[in-house]
Amino acid sequence: MDELTIAMPKGRIFEEAYELLVGAGYDLPKELDDSRKLIVEAPNEKFRFILAKPMDVPTYVEHGVADIGIAGKDVLLEHDRDVHELLDLGISECYIATAGLPDTEMDEVTPRIATKYPAVASHYYRSKGEQVEIIELNGSIELAPLIGLSDRIVDIVSTGRTLKDNGLVEYEKIADITSRLIANPVSYRLKQQRITELVDKLREQVGR
Amino acid sequence: MTIEMFEKPLGMRDDFPLIAKQKADLKKQGTQLIERAGYELLQTPTLEYYETIGKISAISDDALFKLLDSQGKTLVLRPDMTSPIARVAASKLLREKMPIRLGYYSNVFRAQKREGGRPAEFEQMGVELIGDDSLYADAEVISLAWDILKELGVGSARIVIGHTRLLELILADFGLDAEQSGKVRELFVAKNGVGVEQLAKELPIAEGKLASFLKLMQATTVADWKHWINEENEEQRELYRDMERLEGLLGRNGLGDAITFDISFSSHMTYYTGLVFEFYGVGSGFPLGSGGRYDGLMEQFGLQVGATGFGLRVDRLLESVTAEKAEQPHTLILFDEQSEQHAFDEAQQIRNAGNRVTLQYAPAVKALESFTALFTEVIRGEELRNG
Repeated sequence: MDELTIAMPKGRIFEEAYELLVGAGYDLPKELDDSRKLIVEAPNEKFRFILAKPMDVPTYVEHGVADIGIAGKDVLLEHDRDVHELLDLGISECYIATAGLPDTEMDEVTPRIATKYPAVASHYYRSKGEQVEIIELNGSIELAPLIGLSDRIVDIVSTGRTLKDNGLVEYEKIADITSRLIANPVSYRLKQQRITELVDKLREQVGR
Repeated sequence: MTIEMFEKPLGMRDDFPLIAKQKADLKKQGTQLIERAGYELLQTPTLEYYETIGKISAISDDALFKLLDSQGKTLVLRPDMTSPIARVAASKLLREKMPIRLGYYSNVFRAQKREGGRPAEFEQMGVELIGDDSLYADAEVISLAWDILKELGVGSARIVIGHTRLLELILADFGLDAEQSGKVRELFVAKNGVGVEQLAKELPIAEGKLASFLKLMQATTVADWKHWINEENEEQRELYRDMERLEGLLGRNGLGDAITFDISFSSHMTYYTGLVFEFYGVGSGFPLGSGGRYDGLMEQFGLQVGATGFGLRVDRLLESVTAEKAEQPHTLILFDEQSEQHAFDEAQQIRNAGNRVTLQYAPAVKALESFTALFTEVIRGEELRNG
């Protein structure tokens, strides 16, 4: 049996994905995530997990250093990596939306958008026929309209709580987001049997 | 930002001696097999017109290196080899000799916009068989590519084969128009299973056929394909029979176990009209090469003939080739003023015997120990002088 290298985001997605794998009947060690190790083995299943930053998972998979991975659709949309998107795992559900201060119009001359997802934001406004200026931030995006840096933000919304607490309202929804099982195109061919089996087992779990 | 003296443009690489040597060996092995199979090697220009090769090559516009000639016409650094060879083959000189077999080993250029890890200039090695639309031509090029992969020692190599036209017909049978089937194929190219499932909900596919549609991406043998073949459609029946025959031909050449027949397999190269295929091997995270039938491309050069071929990426082959080569003997002769003549004679003798010698004036070497460590044998001048 070929060893499968799986790139996983740390944190909440990891826990949900872990539950899915265990539910699908895979025999994984009890505590995988609570060490500082970056590579952990599940010898019984010949799995090797690489624990990575969510944004980096598609990069590892594209270069083939991980055979498969679990990545949010937001990251896949933003980076457009050459990977196969095999299955919607239905976990970590949220969506990408535009938001801003209530009852405001965007600046007519140079509308400015603050976001962690410059490619998604730029693509969205271009498809609407609007030319905007993108300002890339790394976190606390909600600050931008509050302190006059931008007219709108493009960001992930899960409960809407953060927006509300900061007096912002949602304007348009851009895309639904869930976590996806992705594969390297070469691994998909060379380890097709193992990967298809995994997809089928997980699909059953997701369907429940 | 100022450019530092050591910097190279994004994606450009130096081949240090070891890599250069590996490439030279690989070129020798590969082109030898290509020539033995009856193909003639050729070279085409590095610069081509944007209007012709640039557009026909089907390489995305922002991956082309463009420049202007002295008349202001846009030129490109050649982004692939198939279209220049199609141009050559369509020229008067070769038209009468069809079918023609042409092979190449050349560098091609594709600009990189993202981070490192991908070269913007790389060598490709391949063949084009032009003027033969029979199945034997397809089987010949696939088998030749396979022989090269085996000869180079690529581990667990695999071939995936699809058929553009047959897929088009099958998608039409599901009731899809050209635009819809184009969308589906785009998702198939990326093997985006999630995207296909989502799109399927919007497509006019009959309720009872949905499961069958979603199974398209799972076929692995020609027998699996039968499920979608409409026996009443003559073209489908013919093409399916062709696939069965191709499977037989390739099986006879010993490729049977290495092939996945995937009906959903498509290429982003739009000029492929029939058979398409791709090669994979352990060690490289990217496909080793690809190919297919491109009768449509020849039409653009005004020629109604069949053509098929493949190209292999040398940079990825190097990652995949596992066989370790035995170290070649390399002698160092260190001479000084007194032993110069003896050293020269000795070097000639060794070289005439077909071995490798470096002749070095000893006082010019600063770090003697690390320098001599590079060689398998060291002879000092005074040893030669003393007999």
